[in-house]
Amino acid sequence: MQDINTLVTFSSRTGSTEKLALAFALGAVQARANIRLRWLRENVDDRTVDGVSGWRGNRDRMGREYIAPREVDFLWADALVIAMPARDGVSSPELKTYLDGLKVVQSAGKLSGKVGTAFTAEPAGTGISDPALVSLCSVLAGLDLVLVPPGLMPAGSAIESARLHGRRVTEVARDLRQSGRADPASLTSAP
Amino acid sequence: MIVIRRSAERGHADLGWINSYYTFSFASYYDPAHMGFRALRVINEDRIAAGRGFGAHAHRDMEILTYVLDGGLTHRDSMGEIQTFGANTIQAMSAGTGVIHSEFNASAQEAGHFLQIWIEPAVMDVEPSYQQISFDPREKRGRFRLLAAPQGSNHHDSQAVTIHQDAFVYASVLGSGENLRHKLAPGRHAWVQIALGNVSMNGEALAEGDGASVSAEQDLSFTGGQDGSEFLFFDLV
Repeated sequence: MQDINTLVTFSSRTGSTEKLALAFALGAVQARANIRLRWLRENVDDRTVDGVSGWRGNRDRMGREYIAPREVDFLWADALVIAMPARDGVSSPELKTYLDGLKVVQSAGKLSGKVGTAFTAEPAGTGISDPALVSLCSVLAGLDLVLVPPGLMPAGSAIESARLHGRRVTEVARDLRQSGRADPASLTSAP
Repeated sequence: MIVIRRSAERGHADLGWINSYYTFSFASYYDPAHMGFRALRVINEDRIAAGRGFGAHAHRDMEILTYVLDGGLTHRDSMGEIQTFGANTIQAMSAGTGVIHSEFNASAQEAGHFLQIWIEPAVMDVEPSYQQISFDPREKRGRFRLLAAPQGSNHHDSQAVTIHQDAFVYASVLGSGENLRHKLAPGRHAWVQIALGNVSMNGEALAEGDGASVSAEQDLSFTGGQDGSEFLFFDLV
């Protein structure tokens, strides 16, 4: 079976989006992916953090448990995943930094054939209805990633939807790899 | 036949926050002559700095045992378990179809000393599970205290975690000169790992961190060196 590497990057304050990212990663593992989990730390002052119940403790813990995504992670990954709180979209500074990093890798032609996706902590079964998510997926498509949207997963548990999404993304990435279509050369050499 | 794996021959990695000795190949340490013994795949002796640990990472199809020698460990996983435990506790995680977990030294002040053990399961794709059993340290004093046993085995000992492999794991603490015997069933193999102090096995001196494989031997005799010497004993198919 083809080894697939899945990079799951998330932003989370009180742990809700982290749980979705973990569920997505678990689905990827169940589909036999290697995973890396990375956290986008918000650059905010202490007063802002302390103004939200539970943010401080989770921020400290996540700071211990996760590192930020690095270029080497982008190169390693066959599938790149972004999990964001529904409020943020592409407007947050930390996500902009992440996307800028991806652009650097893309400009070197090193994202071609990789799979990309994004999801937010919105209700399960709604697909891509959040305008912020639509805009984020547009950015990913512009980076030459093969988009695998959340799809109309079963309504009910957002955690279960995230897990199924993780499986789906990994399986698509594996199919692409096994078919050889993940290799950009297969596109340029086509008649 | 007894083959000794000396402590100093193990793989070693010191990353500052973690100082690890690998009995078998692990991470960046690779030696094809030391890939495990029978179903026993990993014995890592880790010393982890205060407040540090392993961030969220995944396992699949592996029986993972953690045994604390000093300090405490906080565990979080995708099954929703959040547990902190210390010495005289056996923690087992059957990774099966997949588990994501993190492990951190529970102390913000003191370093911790841990053994991480992986045993290859006999069956793949089992439902992931988590078990944790604490016991009175007197239960391992001068005797074999069963820590882990195969699922469905009729062990009559006090509580032990169950694993998906025909393997029994015991802990024992011996006083100086104290003797303990064990008869291995015909065809079975064993691994002995000295966790603390020093112990002799059938006259072979084993120091802290030493391991030894046992095959085609049945009568095993252990004698404690310094008081409080502790070893783990793996009875393997």
